[in-house]
Amino acid sequence: MNIQPTSRLELLQGTLDLLILRTLLPGKTHGHAISKHIQRTSEDLLQVETGSLYPALHRLEARGWIAAEWELSEKGKRAKYYLLTTKGRKQLQAEQTKWETFSRAMGLVLNPLNQEEV
Amino acid sequence: MNRILRKLGWMAQRSRKEAELREELQFHLQEEAEQAEAAGLPAEQAKWAARRELGNVALLMEDTRATWGWTCLERLWQDLRYAARMLRKNPGFACAAVLSLALGIGANTAIFSLLNGVVFRPLPVADPQQLVQFTNTIPLWETGSSIARDLYAYPQLERFQAQSKTLSGIFGWTGLGRINVGSHGTSGIAQGNASSDNLFSVLGIRPQYGRFFSAGEDRAGASVAVISDRYWRNRFGADPSIIGGAITLNRVPFTVIGITPPEFSGIAVGSSPDIWVPLHALDLLKPDSKRWTDPLSSAWMQIAGRRRPAISRGLAQAELDVIHRQFLAQQLPISQFSGLETVQRFVYEGRLVLRPAASGMSSGLRDSYEFPLRLLMCVTGIVLLVACANIANLLLARASRRRREIAVRLALGAGRGRLARQFLTESMVLALIGGAVAVPMAWWGSLALVRMISTGGAPLPLAVDPDWRIFAFTGAVSLLTGILFGLAPAVRSTRADPGPVMQEGTRGGGRSSHLLDRTLVVAQVALSVVLVTGAGLFLRTLQKLWTVNVGYDRENVLMLSVDAKLAGYPSDRAGSVYREILRRLQVLPGVKSASASIVRPVDDEFNLLDKVNEIDGRSLPESDVIHVAWNATSPGYFSTVSTPVVSGRDFEPRDNETAPQVAIVSESLAKSAFPNQNPLGHRLGLATIVGVVKDSLYSGARDQPGPLLYYPLFQHGRDQEYGWGFVSFELRYSSLSNLPDEARREVASVDPNLPVFRTKTLVAQTEESLMEERLLATVSSFFGVLALVLACVGLYGLMAYAVARRTAEIGIRLALGARRDHVMWLVLRQTLWLTLAGIAAGVPLALGAAWYARSVLFGVSTADPLTIAVTVAILLSVAALAGYLPARRALRVDPMTALRYE
Repeated sequence: MNIQPTSRLELLQGTLDLLILRTLLPGKTHGHAISKHIQRTSEDLLQVETGSLYPALHRLEARGWIAAEWELSEKGKRAKYYLLTTKGRKQLQAEQTKWETFSRAMGLVLNPLNQEEV
Repeated sequence: MNRILRKLGWMAQRSRKEAELREELQFHLQEEAEQAEAAGLPAEQAKWAARRELGNVALLMEDTRATWGWTCLERLWQDLRYAARMLRKNPGFACAAVLSLALGIGANTAIFSLLNGVVFRPLPVADPQQLVQFTNTIPLWETGSSIARDLYAYPQLERFQAQSKTLSGIFGWTGLGRINVGSHGTSGIAQGNASSDNLFSVLGIRPQYGRFFSAGEDRAGASVAVISDRYWRNRFGADPSIIGGAITLNRVPFTVIGITPPEFSGIAVGSSPDIWVPLHALDLLKPDSKRWTDPLSSAWMQIAGRRRPAISRGLAQAELDVIHRQFLAQQLPISQFSGLETVQRFVYEGRLVLRPAASGMSSGLRDSYEFPLRLLMCVTGIVLLVACANIANLLLARASRRRREIAVRLALGAGRGRLARQFLTESMVLALIGGAVAVPMAWWGSLALVRMISTGGAPLPLAVDPDWRIFAFTGAVSLLTGILFGLAPAVRSTRADPGPVMQEGTRGGGRSSHLLDRTLVVAQVALSVVLVTGAGLFLRTLQKLWTVNVGYDRENVLMLSVDAKLAGYPSDRAGSVYREILRRLQVLPGVKSASASIVRPVDDEFNLLDKVNEIDGRSLPESDVIHVAWNATSPGYFSTVSTPVVSGRDFEPRDNETAPQVAIVSESLAKSAFPNQNPLGHRLGLATIVGVVKDSLYSGARDQPGPLLYYPLFQHGRDQEYGWGFVSFELRYSSLSNLPDEARREVASVDPNLPVFRTKTLVAQTEESLMEERLLATVSSFFGVLALVLACVGLYGLMAYAVARRTAEIGIRLALGARRDHVMWLVLRQTLWLTLAGIAAGVPLALGAAWYARSVLFGVSTADPLTIAVTVAILLSVAALAGYLPARRALRVDPMTALRYE
């Protein structure tokens, strides 16, 4: 029954927020586009469950990291557009640094030999 | 706060948010479908694919809503609506529960209001917690313990004021008792108080009108007065022009300078002076040459002060204790006491102790009522527990009727915690409604109680109106109650495993649930035993106090007091005034005999104590000195109050100022002063004994018979330091009808300015003296009965439920020919077992409680067999009643109906 590609990754706990914030960095966009953008830029490796996306968006909005406004989409329909706030920008920076440190550390531990060869 | 406001704001926008979310998801769906269609899927399939991609919409929306942050409130709101619906559906249950809770919580709140007014309520002054009252301990010879007193001499106040660095202000005061306040030709009796001039400034209160005493105003010749708000309203019609006006106090002119603010009614609970004067005004009202200079023998004033903000009470006490003892150590060697061992010890072992005085200075009212009120607090607490057990049982019974419904809800995926919270919310709603109903009930109840313990017509100046403490208490008690009776039903009814419950149909659950119900009923019975025993002991105490032999006859005696001094009579003329009044009272119609005395029987205002240290001209060594209570009486006193003269004679008119001094002794005094001798003709001090009378209890029923010495009133009255203060008249009457008015008229016919007060019968006076006991007996009986009713209802409910569940079984038994009395016994037996278990648990509890209350009991032991027997009998009868009704219903069961049942 399951016809999802096998190579698809489960999102790590807490990373969705970071992905959303990063996606919004260039400018405002709506929920569906955010989902598609993450999927596309991760070369289809990451797929955002809609069931997690919207709660996450509303949570970030409640925290004040993103703001929302209703605008007409390029096809002329009313859509809810999200944009990064100043607070969210700071949060993104902090989260991104944390993530990069974490992933470098993971890399160092998992591939000690590679490190030496380089 | 901000967060809550934001949440509330969001609540208002809720429906808009909801619609927006829906639109947002709709947009997502369309977008997804269009992209799928663009990728080549047919329109219909694309729509479905988008739908699939979106997943469980309801769950998604629920999750999203959760992030809005008001789920908690929403659920609470849901639960509240649900609770309201459940209660509306079951108005009988709701009313019964709310009523018993309101009674229970209201009773607690009422007693707490009194306790709050008597003990906790802080003085309405700035930073009351900084106030401290000076007390000092006196070592007791015999027991090795010590007693605390709070009286000081004036030089001590001056010393404290001069030397203390830890207190920012120290003031002293003394009560003046009754004073005669004259204004524009009218006169009236008021309560007076004299204080140092810094009283109001140290307390930090501002006058409503005018000013308070200024610094240095307390000096010889001071004749200014501050009037209390209450007196100003009652006597002067709240006229502000009284400021600067002249009044007379005991005929001495004074100037009114200020009115106290309405919330200030004095510095000690239960005494609210009408008039405040500076200390030195005492010289105008009650001259006493030694008052300002005697450092030791006349301690007549109370002292209090205010701590500096950063100084602890311990630190202040350490400093003042040193000042106190240095003062005594300096004064003792040069005083008249220099050779006395007791006094030496007093100095070396006595300590100064600072008592926290945030809620006011030491007060007789507080001393007498604090412990009884704490006892009653326990009583009402127990009543509330019984009510809780009752409601818990009702809830349990209801929950077991709803087992199926709950099982279905659990099976459908309702969380257990969520369900339990729903039940608990219902209990909380009940408890809070009960608490809300309780507040006005409690206020009314506490006012009724204050009226009950008020003596002499005017209600006690006691603040029982709800303050934040009372509201907090009621709120806390209500919440606690709700948890207490709601928790068990909430936990147990949601524990059910849905499967078996759905199969077993409407038949009840397992044995463990019975155990809980039964434990609750047993607890109710046990607690009722405690209350009924307590009520019994207090009733017995009251009854014993009424029947104790006091040595005089209470019936048909009217008493009234007159004070000639207040009307301005000098000592040498007061005697003849009293003689004239007595002569007129004696011939009033309806009066069999009349007499006068200084101390009246069961006097609630003062007693006179002295030492006999000379017999027949021979001085007694310090250890043989006899401590006596004394009184001065007119001829005819003993026959009026019916105290038999055993030998010798009563006083006679010839025992006057010029005649040789005589005295009458009580049998106890005769025995201790003249063992195995006839005391007649012997001399105590200067007085020759002319009579011996039966012992009587000097200060009321709780007193022990002790040595009593009587002097002739008209020989002795003016010599004593009280110098013809007020005199009490006793009238033995054949009919009371309007005797009080006639007696007052007779006094007025001698001089209309003579103040008459304390007009009451000896029975009424006795009743007032037994007020604490009556309060305890009445209130605890009332709650004892209430607890019994609640326990009876609890038992009845449990048995009725048991019988209903066993209908089929009983039907079968009857059908198989069981005898009706056997079936009856079957039901009754269970009731009796539960009751006996409750009694077995309750009696030890009751004994413990009685031991705790032992200090207020009189003439009855804490384990009084009669009281316990009666309690057990009452509980068994109540249990029989509670079991009989369901048992009778069981017998009416028609076997066929019973078998078809279900």
